Amino acid sequence: MRWILALALIAVASPARADDEDEDDAPEVERMRFAERGDNLVVTANLTRIFDAAAYENLDKGFASTVVIRMWVYKVGSGEPVSFQLLQRRCVFDLWDEVYELRLDGPGGRVTRKVKFRADALKMLTSLDEDPIARAADIPYEQHYVLAIEAELNPVSEQTRAEVRRWLTQGTGGGLDRGGSFFGSFVSVFVNPKVAAADRVIRIQSQPFYRPKPAPAKP
Amino acid sequence: MRWLVVVLVLFAGVAHADEGGADFGPVLTIERIDLHGNHDTADRVILAALPIQVGDVIRAGDPRLTTARFKVLGLGFFRDVALELRRGSERGKIIIDIAVEERGTVVLNRLWFGTSATSPWWFGADVDQRNFLGLGIGVGGGAVYAGATDIVGARDQWAAELRVFDSSIRGSRWGVMASFTMVQASEPYRVAGPYDGTAHADFNAMSYRRIGDRVAATYALSPLSRIIIGARGELVHAELPAAPMRMLGDGTFVPVPLDLKPGDSRVVSASVGYDKDTRPDPALPREGWHFASSVELGSSVLGGSYDFATILARYDRWWPVARTQAIAVRLSGGVVLGDAPRFDRIYAGDIDRMVTPRALGLVVAPNTSKELLGTGLGGVQYGDAGGSAVVEWSNQLWRGGKHIYGGDIFVGGGLWALDGGTGVPIDLVLDAGLRVDTDIGIFELSIANALGRVPR
Repeated sequence: MRWILALALIAVASPARADDEDEDDAPEVERMRFAERGDNLVVTANLTRIFDAAAYENLDKGFASTVVIRMWVYKVGSGEPVSFQLLQRRCVFDLWDEVYELRLDGPGGRVTRKVKFRADALKMLTSLDEDPIARAADIPYEQHYVLAIEAELNPVSEQTRAEVRRWLTQGTGGGLDRGGSFFGSFVSVFVNPKVAAADRVIRIQSQPFYRPKPAPAKP
Repeated sequence: MRWLVVVLVLFAGVAHADEGGADFGPVLTIERIDLHGNHDTADRVILAALPIQVGDVIRAGDPRLTTARFKVLGLGFFRDVALELRRGSERGKIIIDIAVEERGTVVLNRLWFGTSATSPWWFGADVDQRNFLGLGIGVGGGAVYAGATDIVGARDQWAAELRVFDSSIRGSRWGVMASFTMVQASEPYRVAGPYDGTAHADFNAMSYRRIGDRVAATYALSPLSRIIIGARGELVHAELPAAPMRMLGDGTFVPVPLDLKPGDSRVVSASVGYDKDTRPDPALPREGWHFASSVELGSSVLGGSYDFATILARYDRWWPVARTQAIAVRLSGGVVLGDAPRFDRIYAGDIDRMVTPRALGLVVAPNTSKELLGTGLGGVQYGDAGGSAVVEWSNQLWRGGKHIYGGDIFVGGGLWALDGGTGVPIDLVLDAGLRVDTDIGIFELSIANALGRVPR
C-alpha cells in the first residue's frame, strides 16, 4: 500500500517539473525583418551565435561544417504551423587552395559558392537574407503570425548516436544470468562518454508580424 | 494544406540532416593517418574501426570523414576523439590526425546483494575489462556467494563465470564470445506452508553443480543489428531427494518437480539469436526500439541428457510524447518445450520485476510476492511458458549536465504470466523509479528492485 502511495506521489509530482523544463526550452524572441517578394513571404535574420569560438576555428580544419535550419510559421495563439522550410548549409575548407567551399540547399534548390575569407563563410552559413518562409497566399491579410526557427550545428543522425552507444547493450558472452541479460534491465558502472544530438542548437522566435492589406488602387 | 505542412514537419523532424556530401568539396587522397594519445590501445584497433584508410580518394565533404570520429568513439574505449586534417607531401594529399583521450575500460556490469528468507545474505559482482591489454578484446567475469540458513539440506551457494569476447574481429563484422561457468547451487523448494510463508521449516533444499562452456560467433548484419550463433556444453551433478513432496493447506501432498536428472548428466545445445537496437540513447530511451530473440535446442543427439527447446523474445518500443515525456511498450516472453533442465526453464524473477531475479543462475530467494489479482500465481517459481507486457511512462527530470547527463523518472505497470500449472497464470506487475545516466555509469533505482533485495 505504501509503495502504491509512493507511485501516486511520483506521478503527481513529475508533471510539475516537466512544465518547468518546458519553460527553460522556450525560444528566445528576436526581432526579424519580413517582406513580400513576388509570391513569397521572406525573412531577414542572423543566426551567427550558433557558432562559438571553437566552432568558428573548426571552419579551418578541413572537415565539413553543417548548419541545418528549420523554420515554422505559426498563427499567433495556434500550435499548428501553416508553413515549414528546411535549409541545409555546408562549408568545407580547401586546405590546398585555401578557399571555403559552400553548398546551400533550400526550397529554391542548390547553390554552391567559394569565398576567400572565413568571416564570409560564416555569414553565408548563418544569415537569412530574404529567404522565403511561406507563400504569401497562405498568410491572410491583417492576421498575426510568428516565425519559429531551430538551427543545429553539425547535427548527428539518430543512427550514428545509436551506433556510438551500441556497445552499452551488447551482451558479452555470458549466459548464466538470463534474468539480467535477456529479460531484465541493465545497470552498469563505467566511464561513459555521450554524444550530443548536435554541436549546438538554438531556438528563436520572431516578434509577431502581419501582412498589411494593400492600399486600394487610386482611380 | 495544414495537413501537408504537418506531414512535412514530421518528415523533417524524423529525417535528421542529410548526411550526403560524398560529391562535395575538393578531392583528397589520404596519405597518412597519425594517431595520438592511444597509450594503451593498439593502433590497429583504432584504424580497423575507421571507415576510411590510407590511399582512399575522397571528397572533403564525404560523410565518412565526419562519421570517423563517431566510429572510433563507438569502440567504447575513449572519452573523446578529435580529428584534424592537414596538408600532405604534395597537392591534393592530406594527413589525418586523430587524437584520442583514453578512459578506464573496466565496466561494473552488475552488483548482486540482498537478504531473503532462504538466504540470509548474498553478494557478488560482474566486471569486464573491455580493452584487455589495449588489444580491443574484452575479458571479464562475475562471482556471487550466498549464505545458507538452517533449511534442511541447504548449504552455501556460489557461482562464477569467466569470459572473453571481441565484438569486431580486426574491425570486421564478425565477433566471438566464449565463457566458462561454474555453479554450486543449493536451491530451496517449498514443502509446506502458504505460498508466501517464510518459515524455514516450509522449505527443503536440493543441491546440484554445473560446469560448462559457451561459445558464440556474432555477425553484424548492420551497425545496429547482429545475429548470434552459439553452442553450450555443461556437466551437471545433482543430489536429489528421493521423492520430494509438498503438503498443501488441506493436508494433501503433491510431488515437487525438480527438473534435473539425478547423478551426472549433460546439457548440450546449439542456439541462434537476433538482436536489433535502434535507440539513439539506450540509457534514457525516448524513441526507437530494441528487439532480441533467441532459439536454443538441446538434444541427446548432440550428446546431452536433456531434449528441449527454448524460444525467448523481447521487444521494447518508445514513443516521445510532449517535449519531455515518453511512453514505452515492453514485451518479453518465451516458451520451453520438452525436458529442459531446471535452470533453463522460465523463472518468475525473469519476467516479474517484483520477484528477486537469479544471481548468476542461483536462486537466492523464494517467490513470496503478493497475488495482486488473486489468480493463484503466488509462489510459482518456474514455468514452461511465460512473459510480461508492460506499459511504461517516463518523464525527463533533467538533461545536459556535464557529469550527470540526465535523469528520468518512470512508472510502469502491466501483466505477467507464468504457466506453473496452478490457476489462471496471470497477475499484475508494477514498478516505478529513477534512471540516471552519468559519466561513471547508468543507474536504475526502482521500487521493484528494492523489493527484490529484502525479505517479505
